[in-house]
Amino acid sequence: MKIWVVRILSIIGTLVAVFGFEFFMRGLVAQDQSLDYIYRLAVLAGLFVTLAVSLNLINGITGQFSIGHASFYMVGAYAGATLTNSLYKIQPLGPETWLFVVALGGAVAAGIAGLIVGLHSLRLKGDYLAIVTLGFGEIIRIIVFNQPFLGGSFGLNIADKNDKSLWAVLLLAILCIAVCRNLCQTPHGLAFLAVREDEVASSAMGVNVTRVKVTAFIVGSAFAGAAGALLGVYDGLITPDTFRMDVSFLILTMVVLGGTGSITGSVIAALLLFSIPEWPRFMVEGGKPWQVTGATLLAGAICLIVSVYLVKRTIDEYHGPQRTKTLRIVGIVGGGIIGTVLLGTVFGLIPVLANRTWDVGALRMVFLAVTLIVLMLIRPQGIFGHEEFGWQKAMKALRFGKPGANPT
Amino acid sequence: MDVLLSPLAGLQMDFGALPQQLVNGILIGSIYALIALGYTMVYGVLRLINFAHGEVFMIGCYAALFTSWAMGFTATGMQAAKPPTSNIVTLLIMLFVSMAVCSLVGVTIERFAYRPMRNQSRIASLITAIGVSLLLQFGGQLFLPPLQQNIQAEVNPFRDTISLTLRQAPASLKQEFKTASLAQKAAEERLAELAPPGALTSELSPEALEVRERLSELTIKSNSLRAQVNDASVFVVIQKGKLIMFAAALVLMIILRHIVLKTATGRAMRAVNHDFQSASLMGVNVNRVITYTFMIGSALAGAGAMMNSTFEGTAITPFAGVALGVKAFVAAVLGGIGNIPGAVLGGILMGVAESLVVWVGLSGYKDAIAFVILIVILLFRPGGLLGSSAVEKV
Amino acid sequence: MTTPLLSLDEATIKFGGLTAVNKVSFDIERGDLFGLIGPNGAGKTTCFNLITGVYKPTSGKILFKGSEIGGTPPNRIAEKGICRTFQNIRLFPSLSVVENVMVGAFLRHKTNIFSAFLYLPGAIRETEQFRAQAMALLEVVDLADVALARAADLPYGKQRRLEIARAMATQPDLLLLDEPAAGMNPQEKEELHLVVRRIRDEFQKTVLLIEHDMRFVMGLCEKIVVLDHGEEIAAGPPEAIRNDPKVIEAYLGEAV
Ligand SMILES: Nc1ncnc2c1ncn2[C@@H]1O[C@H](COP(=O)(O)OP(=O)(O)OP(=O)(O)O)[C@@H](O)[C@H]1O
Ligand SMILES: [Mg+2]
Repeated sequence: MKIWVVRILSIIGTLVAVFGFEFFMRGLVAQDQSLDYIYRLAVLAGLFVTLAVSLNLINGITGQFSIGHASFYMVGAYAGATLTNSLYKIQPLGPETWLFVVALGGAVAAGIAGLIVGLHSLRLKGDYLAIVTLGFGEIIRIIVFNQPFLGGSFGLNIADKNDKSLWAVLLLAILCIAVCRNLCQTPHGLAFLAVREDEVASSAMGVNVTRVKVTAFIVGSAFAGAAGALLGVYDGLITPDTFRMDVSFLILTMVVLGGTGSITGSVIAALLLFSIPEWPRFMVEGGKPWQVTGATLLAGAICLIVSVYLVKRTIDEYHGPQRTKTLRIVGIVGGGIIGTVLLGTVFGLIPVLANRTWDVGALRMVFLAVTLIVLMLIRPQGIFGHEEFGWQKAMKALRFGKPGANPT
Repeated sequence: MDVLLSPLAGLQMDFGALPQQLVNGILIGSIYALIALGYTMVYGVLRLINFAHGEVFMIGCYAALFTSWAMGFTATGMQAAKPPTSNIVTLLIMLFVSMAVCSLVGVTIERFAYRPMRNQSRIASLITAIGVSLLLQFGGQLFLPPLQQNIQAEVNPFRDTISLTLRQAPASLKQEFKTASLAQKAAEERLAELAPPGALTSELSPEALEVRERLSELTIKSNSLRAQVNDASVFVVIQKGKLIMFAAALVLMIILRHIVLKTATGRAMRAVNHDFQSASLMGVNVNRVITYTFMIGSALAGAGAMMNSTFEGTAITPFAGVALGVKAFVAAVLGGIGNIPGAVLGGILMGVAESLVVWVGLSGYKDAIAFVILIVILLFRPGGLLGSSAVEKV
Repeated sequence: MTTPLLSLDEATIKFGGLTAVNKVSFDIERGDLFGLIGPNGAGKTTCFNLITGVYKPTSGKILFKGSEIGGTPPNRIAEKGICRTFQNIRLFPSLSVVENVMVGAFLRHKTNIFSAFLYLPGAIRETEQFRAQAMALLEVVDLADVALARAADLPYGKQRRLEIARAMATQPDLLLLDEPAAGMNPQEKEELHLVVRRIRDEFQKTVLLIEHDMRFVMGLCEKIVVLDHGEEIAAGPPEAIRNDPKVIEAYLGEAV
């Protein structure tokens, strides 16, 4: 059967690509130990893609306003860590196979947490549900904080860490994307979308709204849990502070910025938002010249796009004589340039500011926040809106089979 | 389960300490209420969770701090030969500056971040709010003085306490304690007579040894009696400054009530709260109402910020607004978001609940209790305590 | 005597002090084209909400195929074979037209959700099958040409027809239409008339409809029940209703 051929081929293709990437990254690290953090960035990027796509299932596809996704991430991480610490020594599996066990353990634990929160979603709507999910995350975090056997505020060490697990992270991300994508192509997925659009109408059409919501919460949080478990095993240390509210907000932002409901959007926004805070690191900490150049170019490109959009909007919104319009645009652009130069000079003149060593952590968050606000102001419906067109078009253009092969 | 419940084993409930904790809770609750009012008012008119409200509070704290510095209340200033003295005017200046700065910040945020998003989906505005909140937090970390800061304690001129005894210990017990402590004192004097201080045991006469023995017995007895007297009597100690804080919060709330119920602006606010669309169709200047709402709400947060950091002495960091903001928001939801008396009720309840958690000895869970209450309440009354939960008509 | 398809037996619901539906009883036989009319606020939509499980009756019984359904959750009632349209159109606005109809078909799914996650051949086949059924229904209501448009982008009249197609996709035994002709021009009403007849004659559905347009109802329905202030004031064939003094008074009373 043709479909099976396509399916098996795409699974093999995925595996080859993932392991190819893994070996490439390992080669990079072997060559230059200082590139280790790039490997780490790749792992974190993969995890955030998983988190964003799985939250998109709850938030974007099913329309349940959940803003506490980090709590499921956390439950998975602690479950995986406890599992490894207690069982790894006495079981026969190798470190690679163990990753599957850990991910599964994290997924199950987080899935149960998802079930509990999902049951609340039956009675609460909108902002109220949002604040309950947020509260749930805080409660879990504070409970862990107060449990000495989970390491309390110092965090939990995982003795048998596995810092060569990029491939597992990538497979998880691909699996998550594939599952959500597949779902949306079947009537089951339509039922999820219908619940997002109108609960009353969908239940009148025979959709079991309860079941859909709870399923969405369970599946979405299970993926987040698996991601958490892999994070724990990769890092070897997890602390409650890794899963603070701002992580939830970051994930939520990825979903909204990508366009609620759009899987492609979530993936791209996750990569974008994840990488934005890393640029100042290059710029401020004086990385290698190519890094500084690359980062500056990227940042410049973003700024350019943003300003072009802004200017375009002023053009679109202004209905008046051509002359004033041109003057305005010139004014905006010129003002911007003069402003930047002035600001730079002023900063350079004030000795405190000129010699100040910037707090990189804070600088990157500021960077993130500004990008967030500006992007929201320019394109509030998110990069992709409800659409998936980028993906589908690309697939059609390449005459590729059905997207979303599955390595299980 | 065992492990989870283990902290419950260490519960301590000293009922004599309860009134004190309740009073503490109500006092801090008034601050929560002030901040919760800002959340509730904004939600009422815009249906937006103003995540940046906690950061407005944080800015209010710094405004108060800088004002106090400008008036000479710095660490070095306090060590100067003639340190500045504080009085009610100092406090009023700080309060005013803090409220003014906060209103300005609030209105600016509304104008430049929220207004352009008004016709967009609510989640988009929410994300913008989160963005503003992050920007203020980390921008603060970049530009504001590093490390945590405290307003000098001397800024608060009302540091003396008043003590309120709610229940006296029984007279007989008190009498017993008095006799015991007299006997103890007598034994002490006798011992001092018999043996010079610092004398070795071997140098003591038998009588002195006996007196020493008796003294240690008497000390134990009088100490235990003192503890009994303390346990039997119930009293509350309050710093005068905190009472002033509470009173000021009440006054501000009464003023707010007056504005909302008696003025034209208040009427417009209530109209927008009730139905944004119709209100604007009926000629209410919605933009102006929203500006006023942000102005008033932020000013209240500023007042809360100044009083919290002056009278409660809470440390100021660029992230001070996060925890407090979340708590105040929960308080607002608890009372029924969009409902002004609800916010006050929720704030006070929140303060009391927190101090009760501390009272039973679970202070590690202090920050979680807000959410536990919230979830429980929402499950039974989805609209909050005073809010209404309208059923959707089909 | 056979059991009626649907029978209301003194069905009553109170909202606080307001009795929106008061002891309403009527029987609908298989194959009926049944009308429910009454002035604004008479309780017609509330009747639909009782039948479809949105509200639970305060007292009285609602029997479908002889078994009690009062208070059953809406999705279970849809599975039993009753489906409805909404007076204030409730489509899935950002889904496409054909997807809207496919949601209606969902309750007949055979595959489980795991085959959907993995996109197994069973799920693919079912998707195609539902899509084909949906397209066929769209032909019936004459919307096939806009199958890929967003539901929200359709004009009003087409949205109403889409609601009917979506409800038909559940393959109900009893179809409830809440003011299907509202807001339509005379020509659209004429087309709708034919569609409803076709649904009854060709698809053999039983239809219960609410409508304010008297000409439309009188021309279409064979039996009519009239509600006023939640109470049933008349029942019978159109001719009898037209001349019933109570009905005339209810409507005129409203007009004054
Ligand atoms: N959920 C509810 N809560 C309170 N009252 C309700 C509710 N639903 C309906 N009502 C009231 O019940 C009465 C009947 O309403 P219903 O919608 O059934 O009227 P209708 O006959 O469909 O009128 P129309 O022709 O205008 O659609 C109205 O007075 C309405 O306000
Ligand atoms: Mg109606």
